[in-house]
Amino acid sequence: MDPDRALVEAAAGGDRDAFDELVRRHQAAMITLARVLTGGRGDPEDLAQEVFVRAWRSLRTFRGDSAFRTWLHRVAINVVRTSHAKQGRLRRLFHDEPPPDPPSGEEPLDAALARRQAIDRALAALPDDLRVAVTLRDLQGLDYKEIAAALDVPVGTVESRIFRARQKLKPLLAELLGEG
Amino acid sequence: MMQDEDQRLVARVLASRPPEAVPADFVARVNARIDATGGGGWFALADFRTWTLRLAPIAGALVLVGLLWTPASPTTESPATASPAQPSQAQAFTPASASDWQRDVTADALLEAAFDRMGDSGAR
Repeated sequence: MDPDRALVEAAAGGDRDAFDELVRRHQAAMITLARVLTGGRGDPEDLAQEVFVRAWRSLRTFRGDSAFRTWLHRVAINVVRTSHAKQGRLRRLFHDEPPPDPPSGEEPLDAALARRQAIDRALAALPDDLRVAVTLRDLQGLDYKEIAAALDVPVGTVESRIFRARQKLKPLLAELLGEG
Repeated sequence: MMQDEDQRLVARVLASRPPEAVPADFVARVNARIDATGGGGWFALADFRTWTLRLAPIAGALVLVGLLWTPASPTTESPATASPAQPSQAQAFTPASASDWQRDVTADALLEAAFDRMGDSGAR
């Protein structure tokens, strides 16, 4: 049973308070997803807002075949990909500088922020398909079936991508793995 | 075995990523953005993408009709394409009139064209 179902039905009927509650429930996850998937490029909060705007507009087309969370992740992945493509076109058009690397971690930071940046840097080093799959599983907590639905690929593909992503991440996260 | 342990360790580290700080006004900003775009109401009607998407099936149907439709009779040849075969027009052809239109044509080519025409009308 989808825990968001009642709210989704109310929001689809035009109830903005119900939609606000859905935003509150998923806002942190969407900002995290946008930050990790953009790899330091773009504004994650702006992208997360765009995800909810698109979700509001498309809510009536949501048939409830999957959980709202799964559907929202799918919307988010599309928003980030569209934004990537748009930025790529602009860079080519204006021969712009390449995007900045994610923060280097050299500035003085508190422990939580340093940890987050170390994880983000490691994830940014992965190819797109592996990064998306492992992010949805280990950061967002989606199960394999939900990820398969969100990415529109077979469950076996999801398993393989997550396995390979973690293999590649192991040396990149060596410092943090040593702590545990 | 070792691989499974590695997989679990990496998963645990990733899951320990501290959560994002969400701005206090995030919901308000989402709402402002929805309102700015008309909330999907009247403003959305002006969105050309909505219209082009909705009209796509109609456009497709028109293309199909255009492809499948054949003219009722094959005698719809235009007068312009039919005219060179008309004897009256062939007779009207003279080297002088041709040279009026094609000043860069050589005299030999002009003569050849004129004799060809005369030969054609003689054969009829």
